[in-house]
Amino acid sequence: MSGSAFGFFGRYLEIDLTAGGVRVRPLEAALVADYIGGRGLATRLLYDAVDAACDPLGPENVVAIAVSPLVGTNAPTAARGHMVFKSPLTGLLGTSNSGGGWGFSFKATGYDALVIKGRATEPVWIDITPDKVEILPAARLWGKDIHATTEELTAGFEAGRRPRVLCIGPAGEHLVRYAVVANDKNRVYGRGGPGAVWGSKNLKAVRVAGKEKIQIHDPERYQSGYDQAVYLMRQAPVTKRLLRELGTAGLVELINVIDMLPHRNFQDCVHLDEDLERVSGETIAKTILERAAGCYLCPIGCQRHTRIVRAGSPDQSGEGPEYETVVLMGPDCDIYDLEAITTANYRCNEFGLDTISFGGTVACAMELAEAGLLPADRTRGLDVRFGNAAVLEQLAVDTACRRGLGDLLAEGSYRLGERFGRPDLSMSVKRMEIPAYDPRASLTQALGYMTSPSGACHLRGGYAVSLAFFGGTREIPRFSLLQSPIAIRNMQNMGILQDSLGICRFTGYAFGSDPWSRMLSGVTGMDFSVARFEEIENRIAALERLFNSAAGATPADDVLPPRFADSTIVVAGEARAVTRDAQARMRQDYYQVRGWDAEGRPTAALIESLRIAPPAGRMS
Amino acid sequence: MTIKVKFFAYYRTLFGDKEKWIELEAEATAGRLLTILAETPAQLQELSSRHLVVMINGVNLSSRDGLETVLCDGDVLAVFPLMGGG
Repeated sequence: MSGSAFGFFGRYLEIDLTAGGVRVRPLEAALVADYIGGRGLATRLLYDAVDAACDPLGPENVVAIAVSPLVGTNAPTAARGHMVFKSPLTGLLGTSNSGGGWGFSFKATGYDALVIKGRATEPVWIDITPDKVEILPAARLWGKDIHATTEELTAGFEAGRRPRVLCIGPAGEHLVRYAVVANDKNRVYGRGGPGAVWGSKNLKAVRVAGKEKIQIHDPERYQSGYDQAVYLMRQAPVTKRLLRELGTAGLVELINVIDMLPHRNFQDCVHLDEDLERVSGETIAKTILERAAGCYLCPIGCQRHTRIVRAGSPDQSGEGPEYETVVLMGPDCDIYDLEAITTANYRCNEFGLDTISFGGTVACAMELAEAGLLPADRTRGLDVRFGNAAVLEQLAVDTACRRGLGDLLAEGSYRLGERFGRPDLSMSVKRMEIPAYDPRASLTQALGYMTSPSGACHLRGGYAVSLAFFGGTREIPRFSLLQSPIAIRNMQNMGILQDSLGICRFTGYAFGSDPWSRMLSGVTGMDFSVARFEEIENRIAALERLFNSAAGATPADDVLPPRFADSTIVVAGEARAVTRDAQARMRQDYYQVRGWDAEGRPTAALIESLRIAPPAGRMS
Repeated sequence: MTIKVKFFAYYRTLFGDKEKWIELEAEATAGRLLTILAETPAQLQELSSRHLVVMINGVNLSSRDGLETVLCDGDVLAVFPLMGGG
């Protein structure tokens, strides 16, 4: 390859599975200047390539995966990828991020992004190296779980030369609406069902290996940002030791301190301390944890590599459970059995299910069953009621394979509830299940769920939890109607930046955007000041909103389920709900803060000032 | 009066327990309580750190009167380093 690649190679791959064709497209520097990489770049590429009205499980849907100009350097945590698609769960923008190391290995093949369209007639996998890109038959892989697929495609390579694999499991093959795409076996593009989109295209895996390198334009500038980042990560307890010692499940007892931990499908947030202790990060560390580990280039080490040893049974091992899994497949189902949660989590990892959506859907099913609404012929002898830990693992496998009740659960909690006349029992926004933080305990978080482009999400919607309750460097009130819109907009924007830079959310506990500004400007030689970052964040947010509007979203979709307005929980001794009036006021203020009109659409003036081009021609 | 203090994460090891009951004079402040808790230099360092979080009955101390917050019999304090997650 000729020329100097300062952060990016200036080219991306476009693969048409219908025609079986591979093209190399140029990536203009102007696109990097305006969208950076990762989430920003992938969203722009999707916007240009897809018809927002398409069937998410049809051949017209497109998957765009991008990495950033920082990926390929040694910047801390800079190995992440971002995947954008039309979601079969929400019918709106699917936008998902993952760690592991696939992003880094993909960049080493010499491309900045990958765009996949069409549908193969038979199962295929894609093999990418700097020398060639091949679409190969995957008949022997189809049906295998994620671990087995990864092992097969990486067998025979020496350590250090091993390629990395992105793949789906049975859940994706069975078009489960919240199926994941996994890399490094257990790191997932988790939400919104990208696995089902891959499955609908007959795409099983993408394997990458290479040694292509980017250059750094201004090494001193890059190094000053790097040194500052590493120093600050060693100061903050979260990044220095807390996540390594306790994992994300270290949050279980703390979220309960602030009365925000969901119980029984978000009916309340009341738990016995001794029950929660059984599923806490401390208990995981003391009982099933074998070792902590981190994604590629990550010093934080939040991964839990765990093992369950039972007398009279073979050991089981894998990764997790994480906080979301522990709570939504645990207390939210009135289950406090760590072993049951963990083995079900192992199945979710192997078969390829999003544990947040799975847990939320199971909790919904349990409430439907309790209300006498799940007919016996649908449950087929499975005792689906709150507290029955024994049913979790079986349900995970059945859901991934669309067997029995699992075929209904595979549709997600909203469609499940709707089928039995009770969509109000689905704790979801835009049909995406709500993460393990009750929105009645924070108006800011509530607004985040309402306005996240992907549906209820704590990663795309803004993570108001820590900042609101735990103090730290920015105190944001929990119940302020006035301050929530700006606060959540800022948090969402920080997430947009992090996802576009290919780095991890957890770095945000140690430092803000200044070190990234220096690293990115140093790598590319382009102007990426903190002020330009803000403009880019607003551009990407507006673009996501434009896509969703084109896909049919309206302000009526930026609402919480009725439970959160109609039922209260007790927070620090006071009854709290998120009234419809509060939702309406925050929603309107949020649109205004974003520069969108009363219908939540970016105005023509905003589009012009942010220089958002209309969709380019479709892929031919 | 008796105040219950709950510790989380590595503060449990640092302060020797998951929870302690502290006897204080009436009208004592949160600041007074923290000075009693700091028995060793390591404990003092953590309780002076900007990463310290103190919750009183489920709300952040800074939503009340900070270290000037007057405590009442039966109050529950949660003390831990700033934690976040996913």
